[in-house]
Amino acid sequence: MNLSHAKGEASTATAVRASTDEPKLRLERVGKSFHVPRGPDIEAITDVSFSTYENEVCVLLGPSGCGKSTVLRMVAGLEQPTSGELTLDGQPIVGPAQERGMVFQAYTSFDWLTVQQNVEYGMRLNHVPRGERRERAAHFIDLVGLSRFADAYPRHLSGGMKQRVAIARTLANQPSLLLMDEPFGALDAQTRWQMQELMLSIAEAANTTVLMVTHDIEEAIFLADRIEFMSRHPGTVHEEIAPSFKQGRRLRQKEELIGLSGYDDLERHILQLMREQGSDSTDH
Amino acid sequence: MAVGRDDHAFRQRWFEFLAPISRKWRIILGTSIWILFFGLWELAVLSGWVNTLLVPSPLQVINTLYELFAERGFLMDVGISVARILGSFVVACAIAIPLGVLMGSFKAVESFVNPFVSAWRYLPAPAFIPILLMWFGTGELPKLALLFLGVIFFLITLIMDHTSQVRSELIETAMTLGGQRWQILWTVVVPAVLPSIVTSMRQMLAIAWTYLVIAEIIASTTGIGAMMMRARRFLNTDEIMAGILIIGLLGLAFDVMFRWLQRVLFPYLDQEGHA
Ligand SMILES: Nc1ncnc2c1ncn2[C@@H]1O[C@H](COP(=O)(O)OP(=O)(O)O)[C@@H](O)[C@H]1O
Ligand SMILES: [Mg+2]
Repeated sequence: MNLSHAKGEASTATAVRASTDEPKLRLERVGKSFHVPRGPDIEAITDVSFSTYENEVCVLLGPSGCGKSTVLRMVAGLEQPTSGELTLDGQPIVGPAQERGMVFQAYTSFDWLTVQQNVEYGMRLNHVPRGERRERAAHFIDLVGLSRFADAYPRHLSGGMKQRVAIARTLANQPSLLLMDEPFGALDAQTRWQMQELMLSIAEAANTTVLMVTHDIEEAIFLADRIEFMSRHPGTVHEEIAPSFKQGRRLRQKEELIGLSGYDDLERHILQLMREQGSDSTDH
Repeated sequence: MAVGRDDHAFRQRWFEFLAPISRKWRIILGTSIWILFFGLWELAVLSGWVNTLLVPSPLQVINTLYELFAERGFLMDVGISVARILGSFVVACAIAIPLGVLMGSFKAVESFVNPFVSAWRYLPAPAFIPILLMWFGTGELPKLALLFLGVIFFLITLIMDHTSQVRSELIETAMTLGGQRWQILWTVVVPAVLPSIVTSMRQMLAIAWTYLVIAEIIASTTGIGAMMMRARRFLNTDEIMAGILIIGLLGLAFDVMFRWLQRVLFPYLDQEGHA
């Protein structure tokens, strides 16, 4: 990436950070094996090292079963690494915390709470005063376009709307790192790209660093400032890819992607990587 | 181009796979089986096919039921039976709900308590009647104890299972929002499992009725069951049948009450009780 170019864009706060900055999140030779009753341990990931920088959208991409979710769950503090270390702002990660909010692929709306109460939930846990809670929730509900449904219960919402509630709930809680595990995987194509655009704009507005998992190549290229491509056997970071054809800009709309020169080459490159990884997929 | 509706009416048959039935017909059909049942019964009595000493007519039973309430203080017996059910059931729930939720939430609690609880489930509660009578005499305690023993272990197990089925993503979401363990227990686990707890209570209350009747028939001078045993000595089959009828009606009433409670407490659920 061209450093001088990045400086020129810095005022817009959308430039990809130069890698000389202190990383926000840092994984150092992280490994994880799962104990299985009456069976050999499963080595899910081996020797994973990468860093994510402030305000960056970092995407973990790879074939299914390569350990993307495992990495994300360890960053969330939901899973303990077997080896290596994970740090956020230089502090080791020792368990789940408010600073690392996670959005899951499965719907996680609390059915007994209205949309408003769902979005306020995290702030209630953290004893945010009532007035501020209301305000912040209303703001994020507005951002995800659900103001009309603030008093509805989740069962009246579509899948895409439930996922927007989950995103609003996590962002309203002001995490410094937003974690998302295939958050749009269950959505239909149209809702999916609307949500991708929405996510980019609100992550930017809320100044949040994002670490996201996907197995969708187009989604990765569209959203990412940095792609960590993971391989299977062993599950590790195979290649770090900066979509440099975007020249450090964030795209706002999906169609901008198509016109950019370099997009095709990158997609072809990643498709080849996927194919190499897929060819040894005998354990599916 | 319009096709005449009458000429080409869509096929309508009585027995059709997957086809729904209208509400009107559902009610008509559901009522007619009872009319048929009581009609045949009445007919059997009127035509002398059965001994009326052993099988009184349905109208006779209704009449006796009225007399029991109006002239013979049957309300007292019913009240005692209901009080026994509610008394023991409230105590059982007060123990089973917190214990079951904790067992379903924390493996350490489950590992400690479950070996004990699941062993007791294999013992049918009536097996304890002789020893309960020896310990507690013939007062209220042995009946309450039997009802309690009959439901508590199943209730604990049901609630534990439902609690451990609370989706892990819900709990993990709360964890990554910064929730502490007790906060998550109160604000995620309990509300998520509550509808299932009420369903379990409804099911176990029906079982409690079974044990109540057993207790009152075997060792009681009061309550619906005792009234039926007294009636047996004087060959008053109409009173016995009136007792059966009232037990059935009370069971139905409790079931309806629980369903109503479920709708009131959990308006966010759909009709089937799932979110
Ligand atoms: N809790 C677990 N117990 C046992 N094996 C697991 C567990 N979680 C993940 N794995 C294994 O680790 C590997 C990586 O899984 P995962 O991180 O879910 O991959 P991905 O998200 O890339 O599809 C898989 O082989 C999976 O079977
Ligand atoms: Mg996964």
